[in-house]
Amino acid sequence: MSASAVFILDVKGKPLISRNYKGDVAMSKIEHFMPLLVQREEEGALAPLLSHGQVHFLWIKHSNLYLVATTSKNANASLVYSFLYKTIEVFCEYFKELEEESIRDNFVIVYELLDELMDFGFPQTTDSKILQEYITQQSNKLETGKSRVPPTVTNAVSWRSEGIKYKKDEVFIDVIESVNLLVNANGSVLLSEIVGTIKLKVFLSGMPELRLGLNDRVLFELTGRSKNKSVELEDVKFHQCVRLSRFDNDRTISFIPPDGDFELMSYRLSTQVKPLIWIESVIEKFSHSRVEIMVKAKGQFKKQSVANGVEISVPVPSDADSPRFKTSVGSAKYVPERNVVIWSIKSFPGGKEYLMRAHFGLPSVEKEEVEGRPPIGVKFEIPYFTVSGIQVRYMKIIEKSGYQALPWVRYITQSGDYQLRTS
Amino acid sequence: MPYLGSEDVVKELKKALCNPHIQADRLRYRNVIQRVIRYMTQGLDMSGVFMEMVKASATVDIVQKKLVYLYMCTYAPLKPDLALLAINTLCKDCSDPNPMVRGLALRSMCSLRMPGVQEYIQQPILNGLRDKASYVRRVAVLGCAKMHNLHGDSEVDGALVNELYSLLRDQDPIVVVNCLRSLEEILKQEGGVVINKPIAHHLLNRMSKLDQWGQAEVLNFLLRYQPRSEEELFDILNLLDSFLKSSSPGVVMGATKLFLILAKMFPHVQTDVLVRVKGPLLAACSSESRELCFVALCHVRQILHSLPGHFSSHYKKFFCSYSEPHYIKLQKVEVLCELVNDEDVQQVLEELRGYCTDVSADFAQAAIFAIGGIARTYTDQCVQILTELLGLRQEHITTVVVQTFRDLVWLCPQCTEAVCQALPGCEENIQDSEGKQALIWLLGVHGERIPNAPYVLEDFVENVKSETFPAVKMELLTALLRLFLSRPAECQDMLGRLLYYCIEEEKDMAVRDRGLFYYRLLLVGIDEVKRILCSPKSDPTLGLLEDPAERPVNSWASDFNTLVPVYGKAHWATISKCQGAERCDPELPKTSSFAASGPLIPEENKERVQELPDSGALMLVPNRQLTADYFEKTWLSLKVAHQQVLPWRGEFHPDTLQMALQVVNIQTIAMSRAGSRPWKAYLSAQDDTGCLFLTELLLEPGNSEMQISVKQNEARTETLNSFISVLETVIGTIEEIKS
Repeated sequence: MSASAVFILDVKGKPLISRNYKGDVAMSKIEHFMPLLVQREEEGALAPLLSHGQVHFLWIKHSNLYLVATTSKNANASLVYSFLYKTIEVFCEYFKELEEESIRDNFVIVYELLDELMDFGFPQTTDSKILQEYITQQSNKLETGKSRVPPTVTNAVSWRSEGIKYKKDEVFIDVIESVNLLVNANGSVLLSEIVGTIKLKVFLSGMPELRLGLNDRVLFELTGRSKNKSVELEDVKFHQCVRLSRFDNDRTISFIPPDGDFELMSYRLSTQVKPLIWIESVIEKFSHSRVEIMVKAKGQFKKQSVANGVEISVPVPSDADSPRFKTSVGSAKYVPERNVVIWSIKSFPGGKEYLMRAHFGLPSVEKEEVEGRPPIGVKFEIPYFTVSGIQVRYMKIIEKSGYQALPWVRYITQSGDYQLRTS
Repeated sequence: MPYLGSEDVVKELKKALCNPHIQADRLRYRNVIQRVIRYMTQGLDMSGVFMEMVKASATVDIVQKKLVYLYMCTYAPLKPDLALLAINTLCKDCSDPNPMVRGLALRSMCSLRMPGVQEYIQQPILNGLRDKASYVRRVAVLGCAKMHNLHGDSEVDGALVNELYSLLRDQDPIVVVNCLRSLEEILKQEGGVVINKPIAHHLLNRMSKLDQWGQAEVLNFLLRYQPRSEEELFDILNLLDSFLKSSSPGVVMGATKLFLILAKMFPHVQTDVLVRVKGPLLAACSSESRELCFVALCHVRQILHSLPGHFSSHYKKFFCSYSEPHYIKLQKVEVLCELVNDEDVQQVLEELRGYCTDVSADFAQAAIFAIGGIARTYTDQCVQILTELLGLRQEHITTVVVQTFRDLVWLCPQCTEAVCQALPGCEENIQDSEGKQALIWLLGVHGERIPNAPYVLEDFVENVKSETFPAVKMELLTALLRLFLSRPAECQDMLGRLLYYCIEEEKDMAVRDRGLFYYRLLLVGIDEVKRILCSPKSDPTLGLLEDPAERPVNSWASDFNTLVPVYGKAHWATISKCQGAERCDPELPKTSSFAASGPLIPEENKERVQELPDSGALMLVPNRQLTADYFEKTWLSLKVAHQQVLPWRGEFHPDTLQMALQVVNIQTIAMSRAGSRPWKAYLSAQDDTGCLFLTELLLEPGNSEMQISVKQNEARTETLNSFISVLETVIGTIEEIKS
């Protein structure tokens, strides 16, 4: 891949900050970007890749910003997009939220980061943990002139610095499973999948060697324990630190972790599971007068588990008014700017069934334009529970200084893209 | 803050920068510098304070240094003399004890992009390559490429190249990858960095140590490596196997491409690879990043061209979600279309049926066309769905359904009956040109089966005066004539009226001519009309509208993971064509534009071109150099002997034309710049008898023809004709090459 320059534009297409890496595409070419984008949008042919003459614009949008990479080469698109997303990720770690204001307020750091992220159009150091070691946010304060030498840039293990010290050595393991669901208006499940991630929070001194044991079916079959309860993982992906060759050989997950938060691995299960929260809805629209909504939600998971922070958003016509609600539990709220009713239930035990009714008025003069049929969306979180039944069997931590470290494990199942279409 | 013009701002900042009090107070000094950078970022011209900024670079504060260097890199091309003053500080910083400072200074120095800087950066770069800090080596390695680019197309420094090749064994993974990138840039005239066996194996062993960018880059360079034996090939594939499942989509795609290319002789391996990347690709298709998702979908479509049904069991993953952007939905619909098989056709059609009533008209229409595509295999089910859609009486739906019907009837004649039954009533919901044409065509061709066909056409005839689209009128003429042949009694009267209107009142020449043509045809006799209009029918098996046949994997493997599948091959072809025309950009050296445009004339055409002069009894003499003055004088004194136009589409490369003309001994005297409109060229040639041919080529703006005027100093028709045929051949050949 090779990008000639990277631009950050405001929502009107005005460059906020830019960096010319290669100098083979004139910087003024960016002026064509926004008119082109608007034109394509009007034609209904907008794509994340636009071209003007010999320049290609690869762009992504983040809140009220456009990030645009220009190139004149037949570049590798997925890599360029990955880089732009990586850039956003790094900025977000620095500024918490990335938007026009944060770029304006922090332009010095943005320049510094752009300088380190890429050189001559090629990505260089993009790991925000390493960047944070020598580009600090406090740089606005006066320094005494002794800047730190980036230690890791000379390391063999590029993702971890040497000489890390903690008073208490701990590892927190989060096993998070997101449920993606798409249900047709007639109630048939079109798509149901589980995307699992294992995230680690590492507070360990030195250069520890970690080994993670899961109830992986392939491993159990290899070691002849196939009677035990196990999970068949598909599409497993690891953080760079995991030794892939060892996993391929004997399914051992061994690694030297980066410091702090990171995602160790992700996996996917496409086995059909019963939708955890099932919704039945009746939305009756009486033109010129009113809309009647009835929503029934059912928790289809174990009785011992409880779903927290359940939010069911039900679409309503944009010209609806005077809402009235009745709920058997929780509270409902009309959010006119998103054209939805949000029914929130703080805790929703498995096996229970709840009901909400809503009533809206409609103006007697009907709107001209036709409206789409947005789906009902559901958000929830079920702690101490995984749909797949995955378990962390052990986490071994070995460091040459021989300290004892404690691993903590937490399981959560949550909603991913969870949609039920309405008719 | 009161508004200040940039001049006042510069003045004020200059004063502040020079103020010794401010200089003494580090915090204030840095704030002033920050303000300069802020204005620079906002696009104000800050080059006025260059001197003061150079002075500010002598500081121990590294952030201040960074800002000043950034400033210098921005304005150095504008102030080359002043920038040379900064070189001293930069050189000094290149030997600073702090590696951060060394790296920063070296990177900035190499990015100064101004003439004359090369001689100063050479030594620091060489030192940097041997620096003990990898941070500095990374910068120095890329600095080599920057230095080479500054030189323009100068010769390659062999010692430097050797040094870079040896740095491929560096400890630091980024240094290794940067070496590859740098060598590629420096050696691009010679075909890029050479990947021999030791280098390839070294890189393969380092792969796991690299970050995702490095891995993707190395995978790309390995494409160049040709394994010596089958055994080695499979060893490599085994080594890289895990990268097919990398968490970075860029690496997955890079690895897939490498596998496809390496295994080009082993189709079963290729298929196996595509099976193995199914999972990662599907994951990318539902990626949180829309752009990555889009790119993955484009590649899925590419794979489906060769392996139809490859993702069939996962068709549900390509169902659209409400909030997805348009471009993703459209790609998904295309994919769904190609995944249909006996098992899933019901579900897919049901899903597509849902999209047909989407709020977005574009998306709805795309879904209808998709159903039309599926109808070629599953005709009955699709025709039923399409017929139901007509019942909605929505304009944007009806028009597309009717167009789909038209194509379908042609390809699948068995559905004609069903279509004919569905048509009555449609005319009320069609307003656009395309839809009207389709409907009129259907009524004309299959009118005998549609009871009210003449009455529908009659409505169109009544309103022909207010019809805005000439294409609709043309279609109406043809359709009515056809219907007249099968149902003369009902149509005779209105056909007469329509012909009268078209011949007497119509302003559009094409329509009028068509009317006259049909009128005269009718005068010849009804049998003749039947013979011409009704038979033989075009053969649906011609496959004009059908999809191209399955393509072998090798036909697109080299385009995989580039912009080509993302744009679509057809779109890419037009983009690269107009890039070809722009290659003469002043920014690029001329020589490279030639190297890139490939062989000027394909071998077989070259022969053709050279043969022609002999055959025409015309012998053009080489090296007949006319001066521009003499040409002008002769041109003005002569009359045009021959004038003609040749078809000419789009852009082209004038140099190519010039070269081609040279081959047949036609000299180019003068020529406009590429892309200018009108574009002109003056050519001269002389045959062995001394007869001069002077030619003017003219491309008018917006015209798709090239106008050729030839003048001759002795009036001889036969040599003139052969000269023109030579010219035609050359221009025709160029036209072929560029298309």
